[in-house]
Amino acid sequence: MANEPKKSSRRDFIKISSASVIGLSLGALIPGGKWLENEVYAIPASQGYLLVDTKKCQGCSTCTIVCSLAHEGKQNLSLGRIQVQQNPFKAFPDDIKIDQCRQCAYPACVTACPTKALHADKKTGVRLVSPDKCIGCQRCMEACPYETSNAAWNHEDKNGHKCDLCLETPFWKEQGGPNGKQACVQVCPVNAIAFTKEIPVQAGDGGYKVNLRDESWKQLGYPIS
Amino acid sequence: MKGYQGKILRVDLSNRKITKIETKKYAEYVGGHGIGSAIFWDLCKDKTIDGFDPANVVTIMGSPISGTITPSGSGRCEVTGIGVQSYPIGWYTRSNFGGRFSGMMKYAGWDGIVIEGKADKPVWIDVRNSDVKIRDADGLWGLSTWEAQEEIWEVVNKSVTKDGWKALSSSRDAGFTTQKPAVLAIGQAGENLGRSACLIHDAGNGAGQGGFGGVWGSKNLKAISVIGTGSIETDDPNALIEARIAAKNNYAYNFDDPKVGWNRFSSSPTLGGFYDREEESRPQSCMGCIAGCRARTASGLGSESSCVETIFYADFNRRKFGKQTRDAYVATDLLQKYGINAYEAWRGLEYLEKLYKLGVLGPGKEIDCPLDFEQLGTAEFAEEFLRMTAFREGIGDDFAEGFVRAAERWGRLEEDWKTGILVYPYWGCPDHMYDPRAEIEWGYASIVGDRDMNQHDFNGLYWDPTKDILGGKQPYLSAEEVTKVIAEKLVPFENNPKMLDFSLENAYSEDMAKLVSWTQIYGRFWKNSVLFCDWRWPDLYNPNAPDNSGLTGDEGEPKFLNAIIGGNMTFSEGMETGRKIWNLDNAIYTLQGRHRDLVKFADYIYDIPYDGGLMGSYYLPGIENGEWKYIDTKGRKLDRDKFEEWKTKYYKLEGWDPETGWPTRSALKTLGLNHVADELEKRSLLGKE
Repeated sequence: MANEPKKSSRRDFIKISSASVIGLSLGALIPGGKWLENEVYAIPASQGYLLVDTKKCQGCSTCTIVCSLAHEGKQNLSLGRIQVQQNPFKAFPDDIKIDQCRQCAYPACVTACPTKALHADKKTGVRLVSPDKCIGCQRCMEACPYETSNAAWNHEDKNGHKCDLCLETPFWKEQGGPNGKQACVQVCPVNAIAFTKEIPVQAGDGGYKVNLRDESWKQLGYPIS
Repeated sequence: MKGYQGKILRVDLSNRKITKIETKKYAEYVGGHGIGSAIFWDLCKDKTIDGFDPANVVTIMGSPISGTITPSGSGRCEVTGIGVQSYPIGWYTRSNFGGRFSGMMKYAGWDGIVIEGKADKPVWIDVRNSDVKIRDADGLWGLSTWEAQEEIWEVVNKSVTKDGWKALSSSRDAGFTTQKPAVLAIGQAGENLGRSACLIHDAGNGAGQGGFGGVWGSKNLKAISVIGTGSIETDDPNALIEARIAAKNNYAYNFDDPKVGWNRFSSSPTLGGFYDREEESRPQSCMGCIAGCRARTASGLGSESSCVETIFYADFNRRKFGKQTRDAYVATDLLQKYGINAYEAWRGLEYLEKLYKLGVLGPGKEIDCPLDFEQLGTAEFAEEFLRMTAFREGIGDDFAEGFVRAAERWGRLEEDWKTGILVYPYWGCPDHMYDPRAEIEWGYASIVGDRDMNQHDFNGLYWDPTKDILGGKQPYLSAEEVTKVIAEKLVPFENNPKMLDFSLENAYSEDMAKLVSWTQIYGRFWKNSVLFCDWRWPDLYNPNAPDNSGLTGDEGEPKFLNAIIGGNMTFSEGMETGRKIWNLDNAIYTLQGRHRDLVKFADYIYDIPYDGGLMGSYYLPGIENGEWKYIDTKGRKLDRDKFEEWKTKYYKLEGWDPETGWPTRSALKTLGLNHVADELEKRSLLGKE
């Protein structure tokens, strides 16, 4: 259950590839800076990213539930902006798939949004939704190049939403965002979610699906490679 | 009503009628078992019926913490109704399972589900948010629990998808989900009315005790599927998040600095099992758990099984091959697929082997049984034994009755209870490894209750010091230290360490009555109604805390509940609700025919010295010659007369009639159960003051 990009057109493929190349080559320069590409104009890179270890995850879904709690004040798997999917009858490691927003260097959701509701935060570069501007067209969901869209539909508030690295959590008093804490990272019982300010490799899954298993994990008898 | 969805689904299978019960009518019981018992009281008019009777009422209840970030509790679910496993009659009973069913039930908008009646043909119940359908199960009947779930996933997941998200209706305002429905199903054992048949959810979550699989089979109910996209309203989200983070940082397993000590809430996320875990695996947990106790494996075998499911065949397998082989995993998976109670299968198979070795059982023997015991330990033997049990093939018809009833059919019950080769100490239920002669409160709470209680509150007082002592180590905490730390938490009997004196001299004391009472009321409320997990709660001692004092208490269980539902319930107030539920349950037992004269262990508990169990020695804290120490309980047996005296003390402590064990009006009245007292009085079953 790898987090494979959904089937895409050649044009989509070129878009993703070019974004990835830029991410790879300019990674260290991008945070705080600006870059240009054919159709993209001056979208600053996010100053933070979530990384997950799908082989470490215990499948408790606490990350998903706390996400909805911190943002919406309610507990709801469907409103969580990080999603854990499981098949108990599949063998490890294919039994768990985690979908977290990649804060893409080339954010297809941002460019697809007709009202700029989905935008990059000026201070932090975090890709997030201004609900008051969202017209509910769901183009962000369609534009997200991943099989399970990381831009999601908040059916209760009737707007799109996505991971903002806890930049705006009306129901959690902790300072969030790239310079603060993220609720999912804080609650994960096995520390299978990490935050980084360094832009991950954009090509493929490897930059975002990482190995967070160390000696302490090995001591419990689990694989670390 | 924050934390609730406000309605309980009521399904009458006989008339295929779907209605709702307002949760607020039962909110004083909070959730789980308490609401289940109160609904059972109201809806099951004749409580003397057999568990297989269509009029039996089965409840499947979540709680306010279901589907939330409350650590180790969010995924538990409670089942109640008249069981078919216990002996001599099927008591009103309970079972409890984990996974994600209760959470998904809440997201679908339901606090619980009540099943009544019997369908005229096999059915399953399809719950998608508020849309509830009773569907024909023609294509599902005959399938294993795993196959049935996968079939149902296919049916439900055919819904419209949008960019990897599934819609539950044509309206996008109904929301999307990435999740599979949570399905609770019976296997072939349940279809064939096995008294040891379970309800199974996902790969390894089972409501194992009570024979509810057989009860569902008798109702022609194959499965219930729930999926939803709704929200659980929460009173103080920030307080709940902070409580969860504090629990992780201060009480849970610390990966960076793991403490050497005795763990419970602070356990690492590793398999709580008795077979070797595959190295290529991950920990796997129920929804919201702070530390999973199961694994999913690279071979795909043995996934999600833990504890007794893993012990069921491991020893037979090791004896056969000199080491554990994959056959142990295969056998465990078969148990889950057929949906058979692991304790019945384990203790039953031990019993059959003993009869075989006695020359009583085998091909052409007095008890004619085709099983080839030379192959015991192989996957093929397990398959044959479990298949015979599930399908009632040949002598499997006896196995499916549970091994106490099987022994009765074979004319051996009295003798085998006397010699102790049939280790079923209470109510015809298999021994849990925690023998009444050693771990007194486990046995007593089971026999004054309705089943093997399976409540590990004080069970660490055996495992932890025994492992240390047999390993040649000084116990992490001395008997005096650990009993002092725990005693502080035993509200409403707090600060009385003598309650934890497991010496034989103290076995018949009022202190032991208090320990049993605490166990019952904590279990009835915090564990089985609020639904904190038995494996992680109560947190009585914890090496991460400077004084080893665990999270249980006002800063523990109620803190999470209050953050969700609002209010300021104290730990003590919760215990009082537990007392109410425990009294209600005992009123039901009384209506079913319970009398103190029935409350007796199997003969071997009184007549045969204890062999020391799994590790050969069974240490527990106790006072000897005026000093606290760890006492090896091996070699002990209980005294019949003294146990009878203890029962009198216990009934008096609960405010019940010591002559009968029946609840009294004054006890019921102080708990707001006057209507229950009226019913008992009408039937001349009210205890004398």
